[in-house]
Amino acid sequence: MFGLVSTNTYWTLWMFVHLILAIGLLGALTHQAMAVALPARQATSGIVTRFRAVPAAGYATAVCVLWVLTFIVGSLIYTKYRIYIRIPLEQAGYYKTGGFFDFKEHIATIGLVLLPGYWYFWKNAQNPEYDNARKGVTLVLAVMCWFLFIVGHVLNNARGFAS
Amino acid sequence: MSTTTTASRSVQSQPALAASAKFKTFATVFSITGPVVYCLTQYFNYPLCTYHPATGRLVWGYEAARSGEGPNMLWYGWSATTILIAAALGIVALMLPESVTRKLPLSLIWVFPILTIPYIVYSLMPWWTLAAK
Repeated sequence: MFGLVSTNTYWTLWMFVHLILAIGLLGALTHQAMAVALPARQATSGIVTRFRAVPAAGYATAVCVLWVLTFIVGSLIYTKYRIYIRIPLEQAGYYKTGGFFDFKEHIATIGLVLLPGYWYFWKNAQNPEYDNARKGVTLVLAVMCWFLFIVGHVLNNARGFAS
Repeated sequence: MSTTTTASRSVQSQPALAASAKFKTFATVFSITGPVVYCLTQYFNYPLCTYHPATGRLVWGYEAARSGEGPNMLWYGWSATTILIAAALGIVALMLPESVTRKLPLSLIWVFPILTIPYIVYSLMPWWTLAAK
């Protein structure tokens, strides 16, 4: 692989894969969070209403798969981040940026362990006993996902793999 | 047109796993205890393994960064420890009577992750201290 592309390109490609998976996850979770927080009574006209009126239960398995895949690819590129990005960031005094990345890694794991319960509650969405837990865990996961995405994005702007 | 609430409730085909009471117990206990276990694992520093990215060396348990070999990475180990302990707690919960496991408040699944945030911010104090200088 390294014969075809440079090392920087190789890791940047994995970074793109991480980004694409994250965007899919962000979209699915945001749809679901909107659907549970502001349920649309009728899917009439208007992009915002239609955005909220998705069949939210159908996203649960995709969210779990995407979270796990994003986590695995993130774990892969993390090894290079630790050497080639974090050390120069520290040397340049970007401590808040480094701190927020560590924050991100903790949140990613906490989100990961929430998935079995989240999946179960969505797959039993017909049971009103789970409504509160399902709504809460979906909103928490959506906020976590936005946080992970924004921190990752800012960090890549601060110093990407090709820097 | 159907409402979202209706759409949420009309799951056409429920997977066998989702219909299992045992899986419910395992999944809820795993997800409720997971965030707390992660914080404890990180606080007491019990990684299942330590990775040294500069040399590609992976060792069991905790190992400090070695001179001339670059930094060590503990996050993989903390995550692995958390998954194992939370899974073990989920399995233990399966052995308890259903009358006991049913009493577990399900809202803890979203309350605990929120409660872990202040601890995580506190645990990152070295970063914030350096940034404040």
